[in-house]
Amino acid sequence: MNIVAVYNIKGGVGKTSAAVNIAHLAAQDGFRVLLWDLDPQAASTYYFRVKPRIRGGGKKMIRGKLDLDDQIKGTDYENLDLLPADFSYRKMDVALGDIKKPALQLLKLLRPLSYEFDLVVLDCPPSISLVSENIFHAASALLVPTIPTTLSIRTYQQLLKFLKENKLDRIDVLPFFSMADRRKSMHVEIMRQLPKKYRNFMDAWIPYASDVERMGLHREPVTAFAPNAIAARAYQRLWNEVAERLSLQPM
Amino acid sequence: MISRRKPTINPDTAFSPVAGVSLEQFLGELGHRFDFSEERPAYIDRTYLDSFDWRLFEGGGTLCFERESHARRLVWTPHDSRQGRVMLGRVNKPPRFGWDYPPGAMRSTIGPLLEMRALLPRIDLVTRVRTLRLLDDERKTVVRLRVEESRPRRAERDDDELNQEQPPVAVRIVTLPVRGYDDELADLRKWLYDSDRVTPRTPCLLEEAINATGGRVADYSSKLDFEFDPDMPAAEAVREIHRFLLGVMEQNLFGVREDIDSEFLHDFRVAIRRTRSALTQVKGVLPASATDHFKERFAWLGQVTGPTRDMHVYLLGFDDYRDSLPRQYQGDLEPLRAFLIAHQKLEHGQLVERLASPEFEELIRQWRDFLARTDLGARSKHGDKPLIEVASKRIREMAQRVFEEGDAIDDRSPPEDLHELRKSCKKLRYLMEFFQSIYPANKIGGPIREIKRLLDNLGDYQDLEVQAGKLRHFAHQMVEEGATPADTLLAMGMLVDGLLRRQQQKRGEFSERYARFADTENRQRFQALFGNRGGK
Ligand SMILES: Nc1ncnc2c1ncn2[C@@H]1O[C@H](COP(=O)(O)OP(=O)(O)O)[C@@H](O)[C@H]1O
Ligand SMILES: [Mg+2]
Repeated sequence: MNIVAVYNIKGGVGKTSAAVNIAHLAAQDGFRVLLWDLDPQAASTYYFRVKPRIRGGGKKMIRGKLDLDDQIKGTDYENLDLLPADFSYRKMDVALGDIKKPALQLLKLLRPLSYEFDLVVLDCPPSISLVSENIFHAASALLVPTIPTTLSIRTYQQLLKFLKENKLDRIDVLPFFSMADRRKSMHVEIMRQLPKKYRNFMDAWIPYASDVERMGLHREPVTAFAPNAIAARAYQRLWNEVAERLSLQPM
Repeated sequence: MISRRKPTINPDTAFSPVAGVSLEQFLGELGHRFDFSEERPAYIDRTYLDSFDWRLFEGGGTLCFERESHARRLVWTPHDSRQGRVMLGRVNKPPRFGWDYPPGAMRSTIGPLLEMRALLPRIDLVTRVRTLRLLDDERKTVVRLRVEESRPRRAERDDDELNQEQPPVAVRIVTLPVRGYDDELADLRKWLYDSDRVTPRTPCLLEEAINATGGRVADYSSKLDFEFDPDMPAAEAVREIHRFLLGVMEQNLFGVREDIDSEFLHDFRVAIRRTRSALTQVKGVLPASATDHFKERFAWLGQVTGPTRDMHVYLLGFDDYRDSLPRQYQGDLEPLRAFLIAHQKLEHGQLVERLASPEFEELIRQWRDFLARTDLGARSKHGDKPLIEVASKRIREMAQRVFEEGDAIDDRSPPEDLHELRKSCKKLRYLMEFFQSIYPANKIGGPIREIKRLLDNLGDYQDLEVQAGKLRHFAHQMVEEGATPADTLLAMGMLVDGLLRRQQQKRGEFSERYARFADTENRQRFQALFGNRGGK
């Protein structure tokens, strides 16, 4: 089982969009995929039309009192299951704080599922917190959507610094450009320069495209409702590259 | 560790509309009861893969290479639907051998079943899939229902008209569970089970499709499995044996020619050996003039197929050879592998030529004609005698020879004595296997098992010696052919040493094995089974 987190300190950069589409493409390729919606905003849960839990089971679940297994819901797609967001994730930091080794709790919860899924995609909430620290410990790779702006570069550097300071640099960091607009000269320039400095930047990038926004109307991944759209093909390239870089294989 | 998805309830049972009910009628009724949306129909191209001898099907499942829009995946579906399916995605072209698969559940499932056999396409299907999604109030899918209309595709033909001619496989309605919506699935399945419009059917699409084309799954076996009448004329039984063996040769011929996997040639050669054995061992049943000719011809065929088989054996055993060496010397053996591969190709090329020669075609044609003759038995000494008489006499004589040769062997006997004994044992084993159906099954099984056990020992003993000798021979040949590193030769020397040691070990085990084979009880069993009956 491989765990890949789609993460950025900032919100609104395309994390959920990437997580949803990549999970969908991986499932199409025969991976048994679990998408865990860790964001209380429940955006990926919404995209898959699953009703989020509201009754606060999340706290129990995080503490290991509730079986993760029973919370998983199938989606509209074969091989793709979802662990829906829980509104009480807002209090997740608090829930985690009560546990002995809080930073490893997420990994511990996922372990029993390791023979059931080939790939777990974590759709992460923004910010650096105890939750994200958990994510860094559990994931073998971080997919970092990065809007090609100077500001995002700073956040990216912040992330690298945090990983280094916390001795988390064993994790594969895979940044990619997200919501890129080739008509904007700043985007073009940054997309040219940054990969020279950070060799690990992915070749695949996601253009700014209204099809991605339309996911909210369709409540489906763009790779499902418009598989030939430019955005869908970009996600396909991104997924192919991720699979290759991480040597992912369905079991 | 094999990872399998826990199925909720028997999810793979398929349903089909009963006679007289159209699919539309059924879907209409379904629509009254459930809220569903239908996806655009899709097409799945399916190629079922299995070895020539159906090892996967016989081993408990089917392997299918599915192409659906741009997805390409291999799916292992166990016959027992309580076990989960195993999938492998992103497969452009399915690897042919188990060992070519990436480590994981697929490989650990099919690898041990296939062993050295290659996967072959068994049937191509094109399936039109209508997917109905049962929806909840958020219009979220809670169960999927797939209606599959499949049609076999002629291999290598994409011609639509031809495909239209192929008989369709009955419509299959399959429910696909969505995790976390067990109640909805149970509702739907209960409705399907209760409905008099559809009926559950066998879940194996491969079998249904092959049947629809008039074929049969698992239709190949090289095992001797005859049903003889003890009183039938001996010549008729022998004719049947030879016909079966000729059939095995003919069925394997294409795989031998194309070198698809090593087992084709293996089965081919076993059939030759058994043919020769039947020709020589069942004496006086066929006209002598003819048997002499065919004995000589099949000996020739055995001989020309030998070198390629040798190379197969070394290649199949290569990893074991390598692993038997200390780790630091294992790499030194690689030039041997290259040598074996190159020579296997050469030998196989020659074999293909021989199999295309007039001599070979003539042999097969003459043999087939000969076996079709109506007067087989009349022109021989014992051909018209009851089978049981002829068979028992031959087995009795051969068993006596085995016991005589075996009893004479002690710890100082030369290897040749054991090799001789092996030959006699093989003859005895073939005779018993040819004719086992005319003896009580619960009685002849024991002696056959015992002789196989003894043969395992004798076979290993001789094969290890032959292998050691051959390796020495290869070493010389490699030096002659060019620069072979000294380290390689040294590593091969270690191999030879290891083989000879193992051979000695087998020699040490012989007396215990033989004692068990030749104990009073087994001798009595032979006497009781094959002793005089009505004869002299
Ligand atoms: N490539 C894109 N092109 C256009 N809009 C996008 C793109 N990616 C994301 N969006 C839109 O931006 C908003 C935030 O995206 P989202 O994926 O939810 O980001 P995050 O998870 O990082 O908060 C959403 O409304 C989404 O539809
Ligand atoms: Mg998000």
